[in-house]
Amino acid sequence: MATTRKDGYRPGLVDISAGQVSREIFVNEEIYREELERLFARVWLFVGHESQIPKPGDYFVSGMGEESVILCRDRAGKVHVFLNSCRHRGMKVCRYDEGNTPVFTCPYHGWSYGTDGQLVGVPYFREAYHEKLDRSRWGLVEVPRTYLYKGTVWACWDSAAPPFLEYLGDFVRYLDLTLDGWDGSEGGTEILGGIQKWRIPCNWKFPAENFCGDSYHNISHRSVDLVGIGPSGTGRRDMRERQMARRLQVAFYERGHQTGVYLFPKDQATPPSYQHSPEVSEYFAHCEEERRKKRGEWGRLIGSPGEIFPNTALHPRQPRTIAVWHPRGAHQTEVWRWYVVDSAAPQEVKDFLRDYYIRYSGPGGMTEQDDMENWNYAHAASRGTIARRYPYSYEQGLGFETENYEWQGLRIPGTVMDITDAKSSEHNLRNLYRRWAEFMEAESWGELATWRLARAAE
Amino acid sequence: MSEPVNIRLLQPGTRVVLEGGATAEIVSNPQDGVWVFARFLTSPDDPDRIGSEEMVFAQEIVEVGEAS
Repeated sequence: MATTRKDGYRPGLVDISAGQVSREIFVNEEIYREELERLFARVWLFVGHESQIPKPGDYFVSGMGEESVILCRDRAGKVHVFLNSCRHRGMKVCRYDEGNTPVFTCPYHGWSYGTDGQLVGVPYFREAYHEKLDRSRWGLVEVPRTYLYKGTVWACWDSAAPPFLEYLGDFVRYLDLTLDGWDGSEGGTEILGGIQKWRIPCNWKFPAENFCGDSYHNISHRSVDLVGIGPSGTGRRDMRERQMARRLQVAFYERGHQTGVYLFPKDQATPPSYQHSPEVSEYFAHCEEERRKKRGEWGRLIGSPGEIFPNTALHPRQPRTIAVWHPRGAHQTEVWRWYVVDSAAPQEVKDFLRDYYIRYSGPGGMTEQDDMENWNYAHAASRGTIARRYPYSYEQGLGFETENYEWQGLRIPGTVMDITDAKSSEHNLRNLYRRWAEFMEAESWGELATWRLARAAE
Repeated sequence: MSEPVNIRLLQPGTRVVLEGGATAEIVSNPQDGVWVFARFLTSPDDPDRIGSEEMVFAQEIVEVGEAS
């Protein structure tokens, strides 16, 4: 199968109309290298949270595609994202995960940079360079686009990309389900403790598509449901909303973002949750009441897993987390997972959530281990010469999507698949690959920002 | 050749002798083992540096004096 034709992704490898995706896009190393250029160098990527760098000089070493980057707050309090590579010979100027520093010093030859990226120290500047080196030209490479949104920090290498909020479009309302306080307060969340990092032997798109809203794989978590790791002592989450809410998959065709949501009937209260702890249960019951008051009809919505294109996963409720699927070659993914809590929550609530979150997610989390087992073996079993001749099937629910979905007075932004009766759909997964193929073919953001073309035509 | 100085141990206020004979007082130490911030006390080659605060490279420090 031809893999390098730039016009071949949609007709050849990603056939949305037929609901088929070639295994090549997961295992082919040429395609992977092209992804780094055409995808990861052009999109907005999540790099961290402001609560990780509260003070001047604080830094957190993050990643964008395969690049190591430093998220830091300079002495004046401004947030920057820099390529973690010395301009002299490329050595990493920061080899710690996080900390506080006045300068980033390269251990190779000693070039040193301020937290604003300026080159401030050059060994033998007077003697060897005769003061001729123009230090203002040799600062750290700064990521040209950064945006702070409700505590989260996003960055993009492409100066031609749309601003972050335009990149999200109306999907920002679904991102808010993860970033706002549970009582509906704007941006009332913080990161709990450190983050977890681990590697999985699979292509980054396996976890990415899973978190787009693949509810079909619930059978994989049967054993966890039987053990009852959930915060009320049964299942793996509180799931009573399934009996009373509409279950929706929501995709944004022009953006590539997608999520699941639960939509409660008008005047239906959210059922009790977190019943293993009276304090925690009471806290969330109170927050639910407040949220309904503050958010009105939109407060009828509860989030479910979703994905900001291409590799930032949202898990807005139980557990409440953000994950990034960092590509580490075609055959390996490094997962970074941030754990999110309400800033205003009492300490006992945060402690309870911490225990529950890591029981569920992360390398030791029982649910995440089930997922990793699937991705790991699916990838390995798709690499062979024979195996890669056979595409994967993404036909579930094809043709049953709804535009302008509305239920009991609430219109849902995006293209919706109501899976309340159907149980499952691959609507959101198809959207990931639709957008992926567009990126792999498009030469510029001029072709990718299709909403601008439509607006101009009007 | 003198013994290398472990500059990570240099506390603010410590006086050091640099290559070329200049002396300086440590102002702060980022503990990276490569640089310290120091104020020049004497500078036989370039008197204009006296009183200026500069980043001093580890390999330029040849001797440690007393704390002021």
